[in-house]
Amino acid sequence: MAFSYVRLCPRHMRAGLQVCWYATLSKASRPQEKSGSDPVFQYVGQHKKPTHKVFVWGFSFTGALGIPTFVVPDSGRKKPRKYQLTPYRLETAEQISSAACGYGFTLIASPSKDVTKLWGMGLNKDSQLGFQRTQHDRHKSYDYVLEPSPVALPLVEPLQTRVVQVACGRAHSLVLTDREGVFSMGNNAYGQCGRRIVEDEVYSGSHIIHKIESFSSRVIQVACGQDHSLFLTETGKVFACGWGADGQTGQCASHMNSPRHLPLKGCGKVVQAACGGTQVAILNDKGEVFVWGYGILGKGPKLSESSTPEMIPPTLFGRSEFNPSGVVSRIRCGLSHFAAVTDRGELFVWGKNVRGCLGIGKKDDQYFPWRVTVPGQVVDVACGVDHMVALAKSLL
Amino acid sequence: MATPAIRMFRKLEGLFCVYKPSGVHWKLVRDSIETNLLKGLNAAPSQPLPREVRLLAQPRHESEASKGLTVSAVSVPVLSKHPLVTGPEFQHIRVGVGHRLDTFSSGVLVLAVGNGNKALNDFYTTRVTRDYTLEAEFGTATDNFTNTGRVVERSTYDHITQDKLERVLSMLEGVNQKTLLTYSNIDMRSQEAYELAAQGLLGPEGKSTPILTGLRCIRFQPPNFTLEVQCLNETQKYLRKIVHEIGLELRSTAVCNGVRRTRDGLFTLQDALIHHHWTAADVMQAIQLYHSTKKNKKRSKATNKTSALQTSEDNITETQQSEINEGVAR
Repeated sequence: MAFSYVRLCPRHMRAGLQVCWYATLSKASRPQEKSGSDPVFQYVGQHKKPTHKVFVWGFSFTGALGIPTFVVPDSGRKKPRKYQLTPYRLETAEQISSAACGYGFTLIASPSKDVTKLWGMGLNKDSQLGFQRTQHDRHKSYDYVLEPSPVALPLVEPLQTRVVQVACGRAHSLVLTDREGVFSMGNNAYGQCGRRIVEDEVYSGSHIIHKIESFSSRVIQVACGQDHSLFLTETGKVFACGWGADGQTGQCASHMNSPRHLPLKGCGKVVQAACGGTQVAILNDKGEVFVWGYGILGKGPKLSESSTPEMIPPTLFGRSEFNPSGVVSRIRCGLSHFAAVTDRGELFVWGKNVRGCLGIGKKDDQYFPWRVTVPGQVVDVACGVDHMVALAKSLL
Repeated sequence: MATPAIRMFRKLEGLFCVYKPSGVHWKLVRDSIETNLLKGLNAAPSQPLPREVRLLAQPRHESEASKGLTVSAVSVPVLSKHPLVTGPEFQHIRVGVGHRLDTFSSGVLVLAVGNGNKALNDFYTTRVTRDYTLEAEFGTATDNFTNTGRVVERSTYDHITQDKLERVLSMLEGVNQKTLLTYSNIDMRSQEAYELAAQGLLGPEGKSTPILTGLRCIRFQPPNFTLEVQCLNETQKYLRKIVHEIGLELRSTAVCNGVRRTRDGLFTLQDALIHHHWTAADVMQAIQLYHSTKKNKKRSKATNKTSALQTSEDNITETQQSEINEGVAR
């Protein structure tokens, strides 16, 4: 600007550029410069896929959360973290598609075809996580696994088979693969692993991972109770093994020994069912949740038992006039708590808060569905006795 | 004795709303409304001047000047009551402002005249939500979250689809619904908390952090998009910050081009007076309308209450019933 003054009125510019003055425009009146000289940042491209993450919370001293610094802090100043009351990110090498929580241990599986596709952490006193060889002694196995450690499955074609689903009970676990059937490991005191019961068998440090053979057709889903196992085949047949004294396996003559159809009036078409210790929850095709049983059912502190299905009001799952479709898409049960995942990716929990397993930031019991703050959209959740695992994906 | 001006003032006492244009401080709006109302009031025809009888000395001829004073009764107007002496009847009226709007925003601004200011206090304390429309644009981030600020960063936005925006908005809604429950001071372990939550009536009483009770996108044409927000205890700067944060969540940047309040409690854009109508006559009309709707609401609330007592056995309190009515009548 000084140059233009010099050119236009040379008579006034005697002392040269020392006399130049200019008016500075105030911030408000400066015109918006859409100049091309400002750099434009690109943070993501058009084809960005969402990242998959795993979150864990609950009681950590068994190692079930898979974060060793909670049990053995890496710095002398830090204290061990006994209860993780809010979701904490678990870093995994691969994307995890299936997770299951047992009593103090967790199994996570990825859908890859690599050699390592199954990891376990937590209690291993009954070899429910397979043989975890110690660093110092080749013949000994760890009793507590603090980090997700690979579980070596005796597969015929390790690079072709994928793990479809995992399930965990009190001290045993089941792994369902797509080509090679079901593998079981852990405690077999009642035959829950599907093999012959051996008297006085020592389960700690055992190398046995049994492949269960006696199915008429391919197994498509497995489920574990405390000490029993159930298998669903593709022809619609259900197989059971393990502790059946209370009729869990449908064989013994006590309570109900064969499946009976429940004419649940007013529940609509049931698409999912989940069982806890003393309570049951079902989900119908409209996304409504019905509960019954004994304990904290989710309709306030007054309703502690019900023998008929009670619907939980959909407003508690986020349905409002701005969001008329607060629909629950998945329902799971832990021993004394419930978890529901909506189609928008929100996680709601309620029930007894055993050692912080609900993940709501406090240790109080929750009598109606409460949102858990998970950074991301929850895809699936697994409930154990005192811990939970959530599989989530990022928003973008 | 009530003068026409005082009678007019009595008709002016109540609540009404105006449309505050953007770029204008709310105080200027309030001051100009007050000036216009004063003009209207003082333009009312004044009372005729009272007359009094005074004994005035008559002019006398010089020849009878020494004989004594003669007075005669004359009816004269009382000049001390003349408006040029006393000044205008109304020099100041109390005009109060409801929830404020900052200079950048526009929209419904509730004002109260005279005794209506008491109703303003109740307006503040009851839990009343407000509706806003936010115009926003992707691609820029500024220091005051609006398009008039200094540009801090520019970024690309071609990866943003309406589906991704909806996901971010539902995440924000979920967070705000949780805040709504957390800030209510009721013990979560009680049956009362469950019942209020099931009806959707659980919320903060009095002051709390700003909470968005509803959020949705009504128009999406990249780079521009429009959001409709329903909120409690908010400030307009917070809403512009929300737009900025939505941009950040989408791995891009966003600025707010305009904030417009479309509803404050029961006052909507339909009832708002625009600049042409900021005169005493129009304000009086608006206040009459407010009083008549209040009467109708009271009548309908009374009939609702009697039917509720007869039929149902729930125990919603009266304030919550009125809140339901407000929510329904919005």
